Order: sequence, then structure tokens, then C-alpha cells
Amino acid sequence: MALDRAVQRAFERVLDPRDVVSDPVACRAYECDGLTGHRVVPQLVLLPRNAEQVAAAVRVCAEHKVPFVARGAGTGLSGGALPVAEGVVIGLNRLNRVLEVDPVDRRAVVEPGVTNLDVTKAVAQHGLYYAPDPSSQQVCTIGGNVAENSGGAHCLKYGFTTNHVLAIEVVLPDGSMVTLGSDTGEQQGPDLRGMFLGSEGTLGITTKVTVRLLRTPESVRTLLADFPSIASAGDVVSDIVAAGIVPAACEMMDTLAIEAAEQAVHAGYTIGTPAALVVELDGPAEECESTFEQVKEICDRHGCTRLHIAGSPEERAAIWRGRKAAFAAVGRISPDYFVQDGVVPRTRLAETLDRIAEMGRAAGIRVANVFHAGDGNLHPLVLYSAAAGESERAETLTGAIAELCVEMGGSLSGEHGIGTDKACSMPKMFGEDDLAVMARARDAWDPQGICNPGKVLPTPRLCGERPGKYKAHPLEEAGVIERL
Amino acid sequence: MTASMLRPTDLASLRAAILDSTGTIGIAGAGTAAGWAGTLRPVDAVLDTTGLSGVIVHNPGDMTVAVHAGTPLRVLQEELAPHGQQVSIDAARVAAGATVGGLIATGDAGPSALVFGSLRDLVIGVTLVLADGTVARSGGHVIKNVAGYDLAKLVHGSYGTLAVVAEVVLRLHPVPERRATLAVECALPVAAELATAVLGGPYEAAALEWVNGTLLTTLAGTEAAMEARLGRLRRVLPGATLTDERDSRTLGSDESPARRAWAEHSAAVGGSGDDAVLRIGTRPSRLPALLDALPTRSVTAGLGTGVATVVLDPADVAAAHEAVAAVGGTSVGRTRPVGVPAWGPAPSALGVLRAVKNSLDPQHRLGPGRFDPWM
Repeated sequence: MALDRAVQRAFERVLDPRDVVSDPVACRAYECDGLTGHRVVPQLVLLPRNAEQVAAAVRVCAEHKVPFVARGAGTGLSGGALPVAEGVVIGLNRLNRVLEVDPVDRRAVVEPGVTNLDVTKAVAQHGLYYAPDPSSQQVCTIGGNVAENSGGAHCLKYGFTTNHVLAIEVVLPDGSMVTLGSDTGEQQGPDLRGMFLGSEGTLGITTKVTVRLLRTPESVRTLLADFPSIASAGDVVSDIVAAGIVPAACEMMDTLAIEAAEQAVHAGYTIGTPAALVVELDGPAEECESTFEQVKEICDRHGCTRLHIAGSPEERAAIWRGRKAAFAAVGRISPDYFVQDGVVPRTRLAETLDRIAEMGRAAGIRVANVFHAGDGNLHPLVLYSAAAGESERAETLTGAIAELCVEMGGSLSGEHGIGTDKACSMPKMFGEDDLAVMARARDAWDPQGICNPGKVLPTPRLCGERPGKYKAHPLEEAGVIERL
Repeated sequence: MTASMLRPTDLASLRAAILDSTGTIGIAGAGTAAGWAGTLRPVDAVLDTTGLSGVIVHNPGDMTVAVHAGTPLRVLQEELAPHGQQVSIDAARVAAGATVGGLIATGDAGPSALVFGSLRDLVIGVTLVLADGTVARSGGHVIKNVAGYDLAKLVHGSYGTLAVVAEVVLRLHPVPERRATLAVECALPVAAELATAVLGGPYEAAALEWVNGTLLTTLAGTEAAMEARLGRLRRVLPGATLTDERDSRTLGSDESPARRAWAEHSAAVGGSGDDAVLRIGTRPSRLPALLDALPTRSVTAGLGTGVATVVLDPADVAAAHEAVAAVGGTSVGRTRPVGVPAWGPAPSALGVLRAVKNSLDPQHRLGPGRFDPWM
């Protein structure tokens, strides 16, 4: 169904007509985000130049009941920025100014199109940085980070986007502009900022963000340790936690992921080792040193076969290059792959990985594992060949892994979001009433249902009329939660 | 007519109590903040949550705990302590028995908010009961989780107006081996300069609070590193006196400046007599001038967070709300005489607040009056 010409003209009245893209070929550039298996070409793409234009464009949408989807860099991995066929995409890339850096109050005010890494670059001269560091930080935007409540490798110690955003200027789905949050985190009523963060673009469009900045730690120590098994590396993590240490980062890779990463970037990882652990500590020098010694002892105690300590910032960067390259690097050992994102309680990591290996064997599909071992956030990489006709099996396995995480008492997503990808899996994790109350809370913001519709919560259109027979949640079976 | 008392002891009886009652409901926890925010109007029933108490499950290896919301935080901390773990919040009224649910409903926090924020930053899962009896969960038992809308955030700071918090899952942190505080007697402008130096250096203070003429800088961390860290911190805080908090509980009568000041901090936050207590927040650098302009009787100010609790003559509260709003800050009335306004100018997102209220509690059963005159 084509958009009414009158609506297009209404957009052209509130924006520069050149910023209203209607050419289907040009619109196709916006047909998907990082979840490339799902594609929808929007009716129009709007490229506003400031917050007032965003508000004006949304008012036109509200008046004509046109669905809209906000988009930053399009790096999301759950289809959160997938266009709606009868709607428009509002691209925020032109709102890309750093509006204020306040080194004394340790905060910056930025527009949503500023990339994550550019925030840190803008404040580094003051000895400050912006803590959340998703792997895509060179290109992903702060607006997208707000929508997804992005995490990263260092969120075990430092938290997620929600812990680092003080205030957000938002265009609501009716086109009005409000500020959520405050200068301090103090609230005057319910934490609307907190509900908006991580709402995947379904409650409004971010036009300005006030972020907290942290002082760059005085000391950072990073080690890369090889282990004879995933289980022994997992025991190291358990002992670190038991010792009362909160590492800045604690990452694990299995042999397949190590092989891929090493082939790609030659970062000094040991090909053939069953498991590698990256542990990073930071803080005041004295604190960092004494704790680092403890971590080394724990590694030795669990049969560490090689311990490499970064002796320079370059060596540290190399270790991280290997870790961060792992996703893309599996392209070297497999023609196609899916990246999964699930969370299990950290203490059930080894058991979960065994189950994933079993499921992979049964499906005849290889799975490489990269994960944030400190917080139980898994990123299994499901390797397949579309040319060999493995796509469907691989996709089924990928979905089954996310649902396995729920079964283990975890979550469908640790940082990539639900989006389009996992909306139909939500009933595996939440009961009907849970989802109904979430929908009530969402509708309060967007009564017309025009703001990124079809994402996060399952809909009959997306998932079929019946979400499936109710199955008791694993925590319910364990007696931890009860349904009434 | 007196209000009927509802005293559920588990999720099922909580839901039944709500469904079996009609009319308005005031939610009560330990009563440590009953007079905070807007004054509760006369209600048909009072729902006492203190019977919903106890740990549901503690997973030390995952550093998470699930509790019934009526559990006093102090009691929870005592249960966690043998495992070397804690909930990283130190609101002053915890000592008076404040419940986990009450701390969430009031959005309260203490000096350690400098590092850990408030409970909104520590809650990873919640079970709510709505005024129509619907039981809803969000979040879960893992610290990293972005699945679904975060309903826990909505009840944080809602003062019992959106839903009854029944169960809460919290992330935990290790108890630091040692905490020590350096105290400097100084006026607020000097304290603000010292605070800037502390925050601008590699000291990683765990708390930074100015209380009626004393700047308190707390370090927390390993035993092995503490002496060296304190030594370096002393260089930016000349003349400071040290109070080791390792055994402050057993030596409560000790007259060190830091202990006296922390006691004053608690007194200021608690309020007393005919005074009015106001919680305010603004950009940290604007706080000293703002506090200087207010006719305060007592002040405890987080110089790193920008959050202060002030004691005022009740007659000065309305003007104080305006003064805080004028510098872009936030304010909420806490313990105070009847008739003293809790809120200043309404926030820009009032329309969303009202819509959320109408959506989750369409009959306006819960907490009538808490957001007067906004809604």
C-alpha cells in the first residue's frame, strides 16, 4: 500500500524536501539493520537535521497514523530498526553534534547520531571516558545505544547504558518533546528514563542524551590465559568471583573462536587450546596490582597452560583485537554464520556450553563460542553454509540456543535486544500476564501504536494467532517463582 | 471510617487481598518514609507489606538474590554478610528497618550512590501486583538482560502509586575488605574545591559527602592497597583525620569527626520535629551556590552526585522548590508537617506519567495523593 501523496507533501513541508527520500532504490539502503535476513523497504526515508524537525515529522506521522521507525547506524542485531512496509524510517545520522562537554561535572550532552566511540574521543583530553563499549562502538550511535540499553565487554563492573545516561530528550509518538531523567539521577516520580532505555525505539525518538563520564582508570592490567578445558577456565571465573574481585572484563573463547580470530588478526592467541580467558582489571594502581596477583594465582591453580600478560598498551590492544574480531573472523572458517545472544546464570555456563555442543552435533552444525564469562552472556556463533542448504537447520539451532538460555534460568538477550528476531520467543520467557502488562505500559506512551510497531512483543501478525500452549517457566518448576 | 488493614504473607494472599478489597489502597512498609512525597489521602485499606519477608533464593556464585519486597534491607544485608556480599546501597533509613520494596518505591539512596547509583541500578527483576490483581514479572535472575520492558524502573520512585512490589531480584557486590573515611573540617565552597580535586584524581572515592561543615571522603577496597591509597589521598586533603570503619558498629560511641558527621547525615535525612526535609538534586558544580542561597538548618550534600538533603523551616519549602527548579534541578519533600508542598513545578513528561498511571491503575486505587497536585 503506497503512502498517500498528501502525507509525503506534509513531510516535505516540515523538512527540506530533499531530506524526504522517496526513490525506492534509495529507500532500499534502509531495508534492514544488522539482522540482514529480514528486509522491508519503507515508503519513505526522512532525514531531519535537528530535534525540531524530528518532532515535526513525528507530528505528521501521528496525524496521519503513519508508522515510523527510528534508525541510527543500523548496526543492531535483532531487527529493531527493521522498517515497516506501510511506514517511514526516520534516520538520525544528521543529529551528530557533541553539544557540551563538562569535565568538572563529568558529563557530556550529545545528539543521538554521535557514535559511541566519538563520545570518548570528545572527552579523552580531560582524562574521561564513556564506559559502555559495545563491540560495534566505532560505528554504532548513542541513540541506538539508548534504544537497546547496550552493554559491552566492560559492563560486568561498570554496568550498561541505563547506568550511564542521566537524561534524555525525547520526541514522544504524538510529536511532543519531553525530557526524561534529570541532572543527577534523582527522580520526580517513576523512572521513565529507565523504562525508555532499552525500549528498542518503541516509546519515542531520542533527540539529545546527557551521559555520565568516568575518569580513565589509573591502571589497567590485562591477561590472556589458556586452559585445558572450558570447565577449568570457568572454575577460574568462579574463584575470581568468590575472592570478591570484580574484574573490569572477563571474556572467554573456545577453540573454534580462537582459531578464527587468530587467523584473522594474528593477535597472539594459541591455536588449538580448548579455552582462552581474557581478564582485565582496572582501578587505582595499588588496588589493581594486588588484585592482579590474586588473579594470576587463581589461573595457575586451575592448570593454566600459558599466561600472557599485556606488557604495553599495544599488547593490550592486540588481546582485545583478537576478542573483538571473533565475530567477523568466523567468516574465515565458515561461509555463513548467525550470531546469537543469550544469558545464563554464570554458574551454569559449563553445563549450557555442553548442551549447545550436543545440539550442534545433533544438527550437524558447528558452533563457535565467544562470551562474557563474568556475567554469563553467551554469543554462540552458528556456522553454516547456505550453499550447502544448511540455512534452515542453522536458524532453528540458533533459536533453540536462545530458548535453552531461558530454560537454564537466564534470558533471551543480554544486549542485542528482542526486536523482530526474538519477539515470537518472548512467551518462552514471560507469561501472558507479564506481556500484557508490558503492553499496557507501552501503550501509555504510544496509544496509536505507530512507534516501531511489531517489535519486542509478539503479535499475531508476526507469530501467528496462538503463541503456543503455555509451558511452565523453568524457574516456576524449580519453585523459585509461582504463577497465580 | 478507619481503613481496613491488609497483611498478606505471600504472593497469593497479596493478590487475594487486593482482589477482595474495594476502593483506595495505601501501601505501607516499615513506615520509615511514610510521610515522604505527597501526603497520602485517607484510604479505604492499608496494605502492610512487612509480612512479605524473607530471602527466596540467594545464588552466591551468580551474585544475585531474590527476596520478598517487605524484607528489611538491614536483615538482608546480615544474611548476605557471611558470604562476603552486599546490596550496594546505604540509604540512612536502612538502619531504621526500611524494606527493599520501600527503598524502591521512594527511589532512595545514600552516599554510595556516587559509585553504585540507586536501587534502580541494582534491581534485575521484579514481580508486581497491579490494582486489578494482575501479577506481572519483568527482568529475571541474571544481571545482564535486555528482554522486554523494564517494569522495575517504573515502580522505582513511584511511591506506591502504580503497583505493589511483591518480589525483587537484586544484583550483589562483594563487601570491600576495608572502608576508611578521611574527614576535613571546612566550609562548603572549600569542600567543593577539594571534592573536584578528589574526583579529578585517581582516588576512586566510594563516597564524598559534606555534612554541616565536614567533608567526608570514603575509600573502599582491598586491605593490601588501602594504606597506600589513603596516603595519596591525604595529599589532596591536608589536615584530614582518619576513621577506619572496619569496626564502627562495635565502636559506635567513638567521637571521631567522621562518625559524628555520619550520625548528623542520618539525622538530617531522617528529619525531626517541626522541620521540613527536602531532597534536592542538581549538577554537582551548581550545588554549592544553590545550597548557599537556601535558608537551610542542616545540610548533607553529595558533592560528586549533586544530591543533597536539606532541613528547612516549613515556610521556606515552596520557595526552595522554585529555587531548585530555576537551576534545572529536582526536589521532593520528605518528612515535613502537613500542608507543606512535596513537589515543585511539574516535569515536562507529566503527560507520560499520567498515561502510565491511567494504564496500570485506571481506577486510581493506589497511593492517592502521593503526586498531588500533579496527578
